[in-house]
Amino acid sequence: MIPSAFDYHAPTSLDEALTLLAQGGDDAKILAGGQSLIPVMRLRLAGPELLIDLGRIDGLRGIEDDGDAVRIGAMTPHHDIASSALLGEHAALLCAAARTVADPQVRHRGTFGGALVHADPAGDMPAPALVLGAEFVIAGAGGIRTVSATDFFEGLFTTAVGEDEILTHVRIPKHTGWGARYEKFTRVAQQWSIVAVAATVRAEGSAIAEARVGLTNMGSVPIRAESVEAALAGCALEEAAIARACASAAEGTDPPTDTNGDADYRRHLATVLATRAVLSAAGG
Amino acid sequence: MTSIPLTSPQGAPSDTSSAADGRIGENALRPDGTLKVTGEFAYASDLWMDEMVWGTTVRSPHPHARIVSIDIGPALATPGVYAVLTAEDVPGANAVGLEHEDQPVLAETVVRYKGEPVAIVAADHPEIARQAAKKVVVEYDVLEAVTDARAALDPASVQLRPSGNVVRHLKVRKGEELPTAAVVVSLDFEVGMQDQAFLGPESGLAVPAEDGGVDLYVATQWLHVDQRQVCSALGLPPEKVRLSLSGVGGAFGGREDLSMHVHACLLAMHTNKPVKMVYNREESFYGHVHRHPATMSYEFGAEPDGMLVYGRAEILFDGGAYASSTGAVVGNGGTLGLGPYRFPNVHIDCYGVYTNNPPCGAMRGFGCVQAAFAHEALMDALAERVGVSPAAIRKLNGVREGDVNITGQVIDSAAPCEELVQILLDMPLPAERSGADLLSLPGGVANSTHGEGVVRGVGYALTYKNVGFSEGFDDYSTARVRLQVIGGEAVASVHTAAAEVGQGLITVEQQICRTELGVGRVVVHPKNTQVGSGGSTSASRQTYVTGGAVKAACEAVRARVLAAAAQVCGHTADDLALDGGKVVARSGEVVLDLAELLGDAELFADEGVEETVEWRHRPTEAVDPETGQGNAHVQYAFSAHRAVVDVDVDLGLVKVVALDTAQDVGKAINPDAVLGQIQGGSTQGMGLALMEEIVVKDGHIMNPSFTDYLIPTILDTPPMLIKILEYADPHAPYGVRGVGEPPTISSGPAVAAAIRQATGKALRRVPIRPEHITGT
Repeated sequence: MIPSAFDYHAPTSLDEALTLLAQGGDDAKILAGGQSLIPVMRLRLAGPELLIDLGRIDGLRGIEDDGDAVRIGAMTPHHDIASSALLGEHAALLCAAARTVADPQVRHRGTFGGALVHADPAGDMPAPALVLGAEFVIAGAGGIRTVSATDFFEGLFTTAVGEDEILTHVRIPKHTGWGARYEKFTRVAQQWSIVAVAATVRAEGSAIAEARVGLTNMGSVPIRAESVEAALAGCALEEAAIARACASAAEGTDPPTDTNGDADYRRHLATVLATRAVLSAAGG
Repeated sequence: MTSIPLTSPQGAPSDTSSAADGRIGENALRPDGTLKVTGEFAYASDLWMDEMVWGTTVRSPHPHARIVSIDIGPALATPGVYAVLTAEDVPGANAVGLEHEDQPVLAETVVRYKGEPVAIVAADHPEIARQAAKKVVVEYDVLEAVTDARAALDPASVQLRPSGNVVRHLKVRKGEELPTAAVVVSLDFEVGMQDQAFLGPESGLAVPAEDGGVDLYVATQWLHVDQRQVCSALGLPPEKVRLSLSGVGGAFGGREDLSMHVHACLLAMHTNKPVKMVYNREESFYGHVHRHPATMSYEFGAEPDGMLVYGRAEILFDGGAYASSTGAVVGNGGTLGLGPYRFPNVHIDCYGVYTNNPPCGAMRGFGCVQAAFAHEALMDALAERVGVSPAAIRKLNGVREGDVNITGQVIDSAAPCEELVQILLDMPLPAERSGADLLSLPGGVANSTHGEGVVRGVGYALTYKNVGFSEGFDDYSTARVRLQVIGGEAVASVHTAAAEVGQGLITVEQQICRTELGVGRVVVHPKNTQVGSGGSTSASRQTYVTGGAVKAACEAVRARVLAAAAQVCGHTADDLALDGGKVVARSGEVVLDLAELLGDAELFADEGVEETVEWRHRPTEAVDPETGQGNAHVQYAFSAHRAVVDVDVDLGLVKVVALDTAQDVGKAINPDAVLGQIQGGSTQGMGLALMEEIVVKDGHIMNPSFTDYLIPTILDTPPMLIKILEYADPHAPYGVRGVGEPPTISSGPAVAAAIRQATGKALRRVPIRPEHITGT
């Protein structure tokens, strides 16, 4: 279907973009790659009157070393994240997840920041950002503010980014040397996650020292499986022990029931996938 | 002489001319192939006239409701809107349908399924039409909906029609009434509602004509059955309703019924402007019939060695709100529902019922697909009980040429069941899983499995299908073939109304003309109603029936040409043939140049030699209503599949590793196209086994999108070893046997069998969902 009519602006500065956004109010939408927004507009589920394309603003794209963190511009495409050596060293989980996003075309057009602000519960980037403790840098009329990962994802397709604000960067604290695995479950190739588990693990000798485990599409927002993380701390690097630790992966979750699977099946998936993700992240 | 519009729309097909080589049996390049790959092929949705307006449809939100009132005022007052029409505006009979004219063009007093058309709107922009459609105010009185086929059979349930809820009940009775057997196996099976999932949505363009008629360009499977219904609804004679086939983006049965045809014509005649209608994807799910969901109870009895003694089956098809082709689907389910096996004793009850679910009708495999899942699961159960292999039980019981089938019909051409199974046994199995290549694992590129919990299974299926229309239907096709000189060259042109829907009929027509008339260049005329009916592009019948008509028309043309040649050259006509643009004697001597002969003004008029032939296959007959006995079918086509699957039993994910097949095609007219049909059909059958289902809840479709209705992609599709047998059917032109449907029937049951073998689970429903495998 053809989207309803809209105006299109491609500002070249962040200030200009913020001004346009303020003027546009409720009727304006940020275009940050468009791999979710354009399909939604074509389905007439959204009908913004103004699109503000961030694609021509310098400085919103790129991956840089920022001391104890890696700084990722919001307009960095998934492909760049998937193939970044810097992230591979310090935040391998992000690379692993980005590699599973849709298909190559989408990975070259769709952006990290766009996916995070879109906050699709079945999206693959929110859960890794959450478990890596990302800091979100948000620009608005009042200046720049920073929001922690735990406060960023507020609900279904809703984040801390206000209607008159723009996410500019994300800082990912370095997890240098941590193993990582993003286990994504779909029924046909290149579909959205029915359930996915993001795991990153720091092993010491024959045991897990620390682990971070996140769940995709097990609720309206990405979820940290904290009981699993706690059980994994000090856990021996062996399958049975890890499976025991991951048995509580679905605890406290409220996954959806839809045509892709009911809630019970999703809980089952979360448990199996968590075990596999942690085993793989730990090099098992 | 019928009038045609002065200007055709952009995107309407023109002549297809090819001078490429390619007689029957040779690989012929499809004229649409390159255009489809490069995106240049004009589909019906590409039709365009600058002065056209856009039509859209107002549909019922309820599965069953009484229409209290319709207020078109606010919609009609919308700037840019030209017309808003309801049932009151249908000038002819407000009733259309393939077998029964039971479906209103626009609902009058009652809506019987969610999505049923209630009103139509024309506006100068599609968006304005859509917005105006939302302003059509329809007041409904919601009625109790019948959404369970089993409940619909109950006389105590709401009766949706004066005649009751049963569209057709077919009984097949043979042999003893209550036979007994040493070994008895039984099961219940359920098949979900599959969609044809064609990519090109319903679309067309209606152009009002000066003679008070209308020209309709549309993507369809059967121009003349559409024409009949459009005429009836418009109250116009056939000469005023002219249909032309436009580019078809997939059909698979889903375009055999009308969709936007009458609506666009009504709007065009009302506004006196060309009207284009294109469904969007969600609307398309409501805008065409689907494969019937089925519930089935089967019981087979056998000797201790596995030799079948009897087969009993009860098959129930949910026909949805309108009859469509439910009657014929019941016919197939009943007469073919036990599979290609020898049964001395048979007791089948096959039902098709009305409900308030989406209407179901034709889809590739037509009644045989559903039954095959049940009879093949039961054959595996029997093999296990008597301790033989799945292949052995099928070889033991498979029908053979000369056998009398369950309706008393002699199978009077090749029935190579045993050989088809043996071919599969002799094919190499895929290598054991190496674990290195993630693409080879369940989950594919999504990497859900690295080999954990993966179990391999192998399954077999053997099935058959009737080719052509059955049970006494007057099944024919018409071909007009002309041989003339164009640019100094002898050129054949062929005109049929048989729809090319992507299966490759145009090349078949060209190949037959080249073979019969010995020319290189063949022009295929656009498909339209300016020539007699070609019958439906369904039932795997066009190569057989339209191929037969083209062959017969070529023979009639050739006879005239050779008779004339005989006058000139002194040979008898019997001693002459056409080859390489020449008239040649049986000795091989070139006698005359064909172009020169045709150019002889004393022998032939300028337009050359033209013959039109209506061709029929041998007749079939209606079956006895009480016993189902009779020569119901014209031809049977056999196929067998072997599926190899890797199943991640922890996640419930399936990867089909190999889907190998053997099929008897009688004669492969275009071998590459035969392979394409078998690959596509195998994949579509696999899709039903694994993922393709329209989920209907209380009459509402829960997944009307290609995001939620899953279809196998190329990454989900395995390599296929394909062995084609060519046992000529002596009754068919060139010995051909229909190709398109058989692989869709045997592939799914083989996949299901392989998953059962891998998991040890019964799995009595398809599609097999991951949670059926994990048990969660």
